[in-house]
Amino acid sequence: MSGNNVRGPTSALTEFLRESGITATTIARRGRNANRTEQQNEEPGAGPSNSNEDESNEAGGSTRRAIDTAGYASDNLDEEDTESQPKKRRVNKADSAKQKRGKGKKAKKDDDEDYEDEDEDAYTALSKSMWTNVGSSSSKPPVGSFETCARCEAQFTVTKYTMAAVPPPGFLCHKCAKASGADPFKKPVVPRKRKPAVGRRNVVSFEDRKFPSLVSLCVQLISKHINDVEAFGDIGAANLDRIIRALCRNRSLTPENVKLFYGAGNTELTFYDATTLIPDSLCSLAYLNPNLTSLRIDFCGRINNDVVKTWSTALPALTRLELLGPYLVRPPAWIQFFETHPQLQGLTDLRLKEIGKLDDSFLDHIKTMAKLTYLDLSDPAESLSEEGLIALLSVIGPNLTEIDLSNHKLLSDDFLKEGLQPHMARIRSLVLNGLPLLTDAGGAALFEACDNEKMVLNSLSSLVVKSSATLPSTPSYSMQVVCSRS
Amino acid sequence: MSGKDKADPNEDWVRIVSNDGYSFLVKRKVALRSGTLKAMLSEDVNFAEAASKTCEVQERAAVTQLFVEYLVHKTTYEGAPPKEEIPEFMDRIQPQMALELLVAADYLEV
Repeated sequence: MSGNNVRGPTSALTEFLRESGITATTIARRGRNANRTEQQNEEPGAGPSNSNEDESNEAGGSTRRAIDTAGYASDNLDEEDTESQPKKRRVNKADSAKQKRGKGKKAKKDDDEDYEDEDEDAYTALSKSMWTNVGSSSSKPPVGSFETCARCEAQFTVTKYTMAAVPPPGFLCHKCAKASGADPFKKPVVPRKRKPAVGRRNVVSFEDRKFPSLVSLCVQLISKHINDVEAFGDIGAANLDRIIRALCRNRSLTPENVKLFYGAGNTELTFYDATTLIPDSLCSLAYLNPNLTSLRIDFCGRINNDVVKTWSTALPALTRLELLGPYLVRPPAWIQFFETHPQLQGLTDLRLKEIGKLDDSFLDHIKTMAKLTYLDLSDPAESLSEEGLIALLSVIGPNLTEIDLSNHKLLSDDFLKEGLQPHMARIRSLVLNGLPLLTDAGGAALFEACDNEKMVLNSLSSLVVKSSATLPSTPSYSMQVVCSRS
Repeated sequence: MSGKDKADPNEDWVRIVSNDGYSFLVKRKVALRSGTLKAMLSEDVNFAEAASKTCEVQERAAVTQLFVEYLVHKTTYEGAPPKEEIPEFMDRIQPQMALELLVAADYLEV
């Protein structure tokens, strides 16, 4: 059984029999059991019906019982009823042993014909001759055995080319087979297979007909000639950014073409979408752009510890670094990086946007950054507390010029009054999106109290502006965007 | 020509001008393949371009020509039957033009 794990396609009948647990092996075993039953029955008092009572028989019958419990009990029950049945079976077997031994090539074919129409699969199941006791008189004897020719009655050795006599029964020796006109070496006709449907219907793929855009054509062309940098001519610093923009917009900045934009002459570099850049190309960025002072990489999720460690040994002139989403980098790498770049240590700009774990414990650390002028703590998962932010601004507020505290839902008018108002004089940019607790009156009080000509009120969307009272009638500052949603 | 416009707005001609003064006359439906030109020529907003049917493209003639060629190429072959062989447009672009054309194509939305 264990050798039959791999099975070819089978007919419906074979499948049914297999599901019912009927296989040639089962049948064979049943036959063996029958023998054994008979033997056991010959022993006095060893009948299967009372085997439970008879302890002495335990060892002898154990094999059989194991087989019984394996699911063939019903077969044996039948057999036990009539003692003559196993005997009969044996006789049968003995009689037809000769015919049964082989796979019964012809008989098998005859049997198959019933359902050959509905299934063209080759019949590969185990021999059925064990249970189909139909007179397999014409089944071919095994190769190598002796047989008497049906025509000339001479003895001959059966080979794989031996042919059955027409009309049956019997087989023909090689001579007679040739004389009868049939070609014994003719290969058996392979059942004709159905033509695969693919050839007949040609489905027009839409993808094939889709035109690549001119942008993607250019990107393809650049990738194709990337090793021939000279072919692209001189890029020039002004065009560099435009080209990077165009590439990034299509997420086509790849490890291959990014080399175009590396150069010792670069002082500023911005990659707007570095999704496809692998750590290696980000490492080589540091070595190939030694004079960078400002580096910005958006969607830099593939920056890892190794990249930052490489950067630690390079980029000596860097004064500004802006990364969007470097979430694979761990603290030790950052610490090493800042130790090797002392010029970056007094942080002036800090953006912790969309930091899910932002909480009040961050504030104590931010308080120590005395040089901060730009602070963005927007869009946290949980709002920071009003008291914590007021305390923070009381420390770092005097230097701040830009601040974004969007979506800190706990902030109310008290924060405007106590936190922001004392420092409004220096603030140039204020973003307070999504603060549902703010009121008109609170906003009006804040803006009336300040007189700052430089201020750019970036956005106050979601600030509930019930009337125009929030905003002074004659603003002394320029307003870029004032969104209101009531 | 003005009489024709009324009959079929997609059959009139528009002028595409490069920044060094070369003009390219194309059918309107060809020009509309470019998102930027489509916006320029849109009747709804009444830009000067729509009124004069002239679009200035801030690229030199060589680049503009390739860009116009691509628009025509796309218009010609987009509706082509499946069996028809479509010439590879990429073969027409010289590598040294690729970057310039990329920036132009990005701006012109093609």
